[in-house]
Amino acid sequence: MFESLNDPVDVLTAFVDGAMRPIRFRWQGRVVPVRQVTGQWNRREGQAVLRYFAVQGPHEESYELCFDSRGPRWVLNRAWSGPA
Amino acid sequence: MILLVDMDAFFASVEQLHHPHLRGKPVIVCGDPTRRGVVTAASYEARPFGVRAGMPTAEAKRLCPHAEFVEGSPRKYVEKSLELLEMFLTYTPDVEPFSVDEAFLDLSKLGERGATREAAVAMARTIQQRIADEHGLGASIGIGPNKLIAKMASGVNKPRGLTVLDEEEFRQLFWPQDVQELWGVGPKMSEHLKRLGIRTVGDLGRAGEPMLEQSFGAVGVHLKHAAWGRDQTPVVPYHEGVDPKSMGHEVTLPEDSREEAFLEGTLLRLADQVARRLRGEGFVARTLTLKLRDFRFRTITRQKALTVSVDDHLAIFEVAKALWRANWKGEPLRLLGVSASGLEHKGEGEQGELFVQDDRKKTLQEALDKVRDKLGEASVVPAGSLMHRRDTGHVPFGAMKRKDGRTRRAGPEGAAGAQAPITREGAASQVKRTLRDQKRKGS
Repeated sequence: MFESLNDPVDVLTAFVDGAMRPIRFRWQGRVVPVRQVTGQWNRREGQAVLRYFAVQGPHEESYELCFDSRGPRWVLNRAWSGPA
Repeated sequence: MILLVDMDAFFASVEQLHHPHLRGKPVIVCGDPTRRGVVTAASYEARPFGVRAGMPTAEAKRLCPHAEFVEGSPRKYVEKSLELLEMFLTYTPDVEPFSVDEAFLDLSKLGERGATREAAVAMARTIQQRIADEHGLGASIGIGPNKLIAKMASGVNKPRGLTVLDEEEFRQLFWPQDVQELWGVGPKMSEHLKRLGIRTVGDLGRAGEPMLEQSFGAVGVHLKHAAWGRDQTPVVPYHEGVDPKSMGHEVTLPEDSREEAFLEGTLLRLADQVARRLRGEGFVARTLTLKLRDFRFRTITRQKALTVSVDDHLAIFEVAKALWRANWKGEPLRLLGVSASGLEHKGEGEQGELFVQDDRKKTLQEALDKVRDKLGEASVVPAGSLMHRRDTGHVPFGAMKRKDGRTRRAGPEGAAGAQAPITREGAASQVKRTLRDQKRKGS
């Protein structure tokens, strides 16, 4: 099941051709490499734009990261913690 | 010819696309799965277990306990919907977004005489292929000479189906079917028709027009035409823009409640959301509707026509509260909703304000709107609306309690985002709002 987290995380980010892409992030003391970005979408909160990324880790586990331009900061929005 | 592109199990499919481990598994999109609510969408893998949209989440858990229950994110689906609309526009400029996961494409103006049946089929196949290749999603497409037939054809063969019908083929296929299968005939009208001895679409097609008119007014004649597969409703391209007919919000309560302060606080929050949307899009409303659903799932709606138009939350709240007081018998309530209709552009036909605001109030309202435009909806809210947050899960302004009781940090969703209910109607309205915003900014 997915767990809602909203945990601040450090994210190594690449900017290629004007597009932003998370490469790896540090969460709970470990580094999670991003194997694949499987989805992207944006949401506005007032004037701020929140950029969301659905990503897969090395073991095909799923995460949703969010870049909040107000910080700027990265947040791990939710993670799939295995079957319910 | 007209195409209706209907995305297959759209919300659940987008979740499966974003989270590959969910592919091939039953996925149920809902609100916060730890709280009470209803199923917004179910993947095709969940449907054989009897799970359907609109069903209480608790019932879906009983029917399909091994399903993955995913909290939906409206913006995720809205963005995908807008991407798809962009793709449809490469085929024809006449695209009408009918809902968040359905769009009509009018091919009748292509070429000198419009697209032929064969050309429409070829285009539909290309669109299906592109939706699969470029977006990783499935769509069913219906093709017909009008919107009614295209819409009904799209449901004949799902998922990833392609069905073409002309009027004659429409009648052959649908006349033997239950009258409720006809687009526009809901459960109540179906019951009414059956009391008149009209059980099938064919019965409706053969029914006498005077009898239908006597029972249903002008709608009766329209129904008979629909049964024959006749429909003259135009495809309204979104670049021409269509003003919304109504704006509303509703919420399923965390638990059935008869607590007056809590219900009143919830009504105030709903009134505030409706008022913000009205002002945000430059509308005022002349009719307000309250919706109540009790613990037995009995739903009532009550309307009040206003002598003057309104767009501020207190005015809407006062009317909604009066309707609630007049119609609530004290039974535990499950759902509350407030909506505004009879919309007019602000400044058009306004005769004054029901609840006279002095300049200071207006200035305050404008200032508060500016704060929320800049910092987000949860930055300033009416104090009375916080009453509904008295219970366990939510603490205002961005902090939420974890299941273990600790207060968790504010997330980017914020407190308001976390509570926003996910509904198909809400997502559809976001698509249309985004398109209207784009049009406003473009003009």
